[in-house]
Amino acid sequence: MILVQLGLYFALLSLLTFGGLGPVIPEMQRYIVDVKGWMTPGDFMQLFAVAQTVPGPNVLVTSLIGYRVAGVPGSIVALLALCLPTAAIAWAVSGLRERFRESPWRGVIQRALAPLLVGLMFAAGYTIATPHAPDWRLWLIALGTAAGMLTTRVNPVWLLAGGAVLGGILL
Amino acid sequence: MVRTAGAANRLDSIVPTPPRTLWELFLGFLSIGARSFGGVLPAAHTIMVEKRRWLTPADFVETCALCQILPGPNIGNASIVLGRRWFGISGAVVAFLGLFALPYLWVLTLAMLYMHWGAHPSVSAVVTGAGAAGAGLFIATAVKLGRPIAGKPGALALIAGCFVLVAIARMSLVIVMPIALTVGILFSARGRL
Repeated sequence: MILVQLGLYFALLSLLTFGGLGPVIPEMQRYIVDVKGWMTPGDFMQLFAVAQTVPGPNVLVTSLIGYRVAGVPGSIVALLALCLPTAAIAWAVSGLRERFRESPWRGVIQRALAPLLVGLMFAAGYTIATPHAPDWRLWLIALGTAAGMLTTRVNPVWLLAGGAVLGGILL
Repeated sequence: MVRTAGAANRLDSIVPTPPRTLWELFLGFLSIGARSFGGVLPAAHTIMVEKRRWLTPADFVETCALCQILPGPNIGNASIVLGRRWFGISGAVVAFLGLFALPYLWVLTLAMLYMHWGAHPSVSAVVTGAGAAGAGLFIATAVKLGRPIAGKPGALALIAGCFVLVAIARMSLVIVMPIALTVGILFSARGRL
């Protein structure tokens, strides 16, 4: 039963994943933690952190969540549910490449999506860094990492490692 | 994906050679999945345009543009679109499986390790710190994407609205997204964005 719920939810969510998985992170956390109570917000944050060390499409965080909720079957159901509906759409429109290039709607939709995705990415940062009550230590790590990313050209992997070290010292 | 114009032109002038067998298609997407630390698209470009020469740079950009406007993981969409173009449905399935095979096995291994060690207090502190740093990367991405549109009042209103409704009011995205997208398209079609 839990597999069916997991599958249906991620299938619905997949239709909202414009611009990658980041913008839907707050929604995933809301459903899995607040609505279903399948894990604590702290667990969700930790799974998100673990998923960052995986190469490949960032949708794989769904496999981690699925595994936590329902084992190996959960990991497969979550990943397929998140990918297949949009794969079907991609299949259907894959012949439209030529016509799409000329379409004025391309620009209209891209400009409409941009501010939405920016607002949702801020929401994702806030939601992940605030699993329980606001905690200055987590915000310090998050804002420090953001500043590092924006002002230097250092590889993000080192910023994540820095966050891990700070977490070990502060938390 | 920063390429010099010279390099792009040189690659553009080469006649692309699409994969000849499903096995070749599988191996190509397998290596994209395996080497895509820090972004899948640069890896996809390296494999499909520079190494295997399946696509010209212009063709790659167009395919990506189509996939970015669709929901779903861009590169997952690209595996379906390209697999279908070259081999029909078996190509779409093979490219998709190749892309996800290695990262999935990796994530499963990590999940098992985490279940075993995650409850340990010092592991938990380090992982939580990395999670907060990941939140910081989202914030940095939002700032980068937001800078070019921050001068427009309509864009700022949409950014703030989405943030408050989703992060603070914790409304479902199933409700917020259709409304925000409708407003965004109305603004955008009237030249306000």
